[in-house]
Amino acid sequence: MSTLKLTNLSKRFGGVVASEDVNIEVPAGKVIGLIGPNGAGKTTIVNMITGLLPVTSGTIHVGNADITHAPAHEICRAGLARTFQNIRLLGEATVLENVMIGFHRHETSSTFAALLGLPEAGRETATLKERAFSLLGEFDLQAFADYPASGLSYGHQRKVEMARAMASEPDFVLLDEPIAGMNDVESNALAEIFMGLASSGKGVLLIEHNVRFVAKLCSYIYVLDGGKLISEGTSDHVLNDPEVISAYLGDAHHA
Amino acid sequence: MSGIIAGYLPLFDLYLIHVGLAFSQYIVLRAGVFSLATAAFAGIGAYTAGIFAVNLGLHPAIGLLAGTLTGMGAAIFLSIPLARLRGVYQAIATVAFIQICLSLNVYSESLTGGAMGLNNIPKTVGTGTLFVFAALATYMIWAIERGRLGRAFNAIRQDEAVAASLGISITRHQMLAFAISGALAGLFGGLEAYHAYALDPNQFGFHLLITILSYVILGGRNTVLGPLVGCAILIILPELARPLAENRMVIYGVMLIVVINYVPKGIVDTALDAIRARRLKMREETVS
Repeated sequence: MSTLKLTNLSKRFGGVVASEDVNIEVPAGKVIGLIGPNGAGKTTIVNMITGLLPVTSGTIHVGNADITHAPAHEICRAGLARTFQNIRLLGEATVLENVMIGFHRHETSSTFAALLGLPEAGRETATLKERAFSLLGEFDLQAFADYPASGLSYGHQRKVEMARAMASEPDFVLLDEPIAGMNDVESNALAEIFMGLASSGKGVLLIEHNVRFVAKLCSYIYVLDGGKLISEGTSDHVLNDPEVISAYLGDAHHA
Repeated sequence: MSGIIAGYLPLFDLYLIHVGLAFSQYIVLRAGVFSLATAAFAGIGAYTAGIFAVNLGLHPAIGLLAGTLTGMGAAIFLSIPLARLRGVYQAIATVAFIQICLSLNVYSESLTGGAMGLNNIPKTVGTGTLFVFAALATYMIWAIERGRLGRAFNAIRQDEAVAASLGISITRHQMLAFAISGALAGLFGGLEAYHAYALDPNQFGFHLLITILSYVILGGRNTVLGPLVGCAILIILPELARPLAENRMVIYGVMLIVVINYVPKGIVDTALDAIRARRLKMREETVS
């Protein structure tokens, strides 16, 4: 089984250490949590994994493939998909088109066929449309297929983004604060989707600061503060760790 | 009757050539590159084709092919430094490129005729040929739009980080958009050369840039109809208002200001959006 593995990952912005010697392992078929207070460096780690930020030192592997310095678009091809902290849909496009673009990694028609509008290219578009539509079905979004994505409610936009990430059929999924701003009903519905991803064999790295949500969902949790891992283990272990409590609630001595 | 049609034929020819140039501008904007270099590529294509015919006496088909290829080559070359720039910086760099081409053209007098222009190009291209090429260009843009490339261009234009996270190579696609843009501009520049008897270096300067950009902004940037309609309006309008024909650029300017303020997406895009919204609303009403 392949694993997403970060080894001694560090990032410095000049003198500022945004993350230091971070070691995280996400095995396939598991939901792994990464928590930490605001500014702990969670998003820095996501951006390094997905190639949006250059890594200062350390390595990132998907299975046996080293993606530490791969450009962003190749990382997707290695089987890694993500969602964004602030939902990023293509606002001008419809819901269906947003999901169709997710299939890009699996498009096979040649550039030549696309330029000349050969039947091959047309067939591919038709197939992708069908696949995108059935994928929308899994997220209960078919009724919105033809609507501009920017007009949907927050919860629905989040689901469209999830569907788009799933379209690339990744082995690993990074979820950057997926339930921020959602009510309990919406977040519970998403929790089920996340569990479903894990049971279908995908590795999920859930980045959140809603500790309760992470504790409920994740088999193993990493806690980040000031760019360093301060604790890791099962939810019971982590939530009772005095260092974690002081990072979240402040140190009792200074209170 | 036929006299009236014949009177408007030159205008139609102009339309067909400028549609090709408008598509050249359209395709780069579509892929999220704010390049304005179409005028320069058109100049390169036109002069290559012209020189092939005048100095080398070659068949126009070879001249057109050479014009297309040199336009494309120049575009690919330019895309390398431009990949490091974004937005308005790309625009500035490409305007500079137009000026560089213009100056080189004027200085290399022995080859291009310098400020005197390139004259005595045999006229080998008529309305029929122009129509065929304009139709082919329209078809190609339409094909790109509905396939894999159109989807990738759309994603890159709207959000590069999203596009990259879905496995779309931004550099590769933007270079491709540039290559298509350069090839189209080179081809239609070449057609212009074989259609107009003579070329003047200033023909491919700032004035042409504004004209082409206006077609796309007025018509719309997201469907193949946009440049077709924008080009038609801007070519017909000064003719309808003949007394104002002298002030063509004033009309362009006023129209652009009006369009940018009231229909920023362009006429066709705005109309299509309205139609789509109405269709969705009607469907909702029948459901409820």
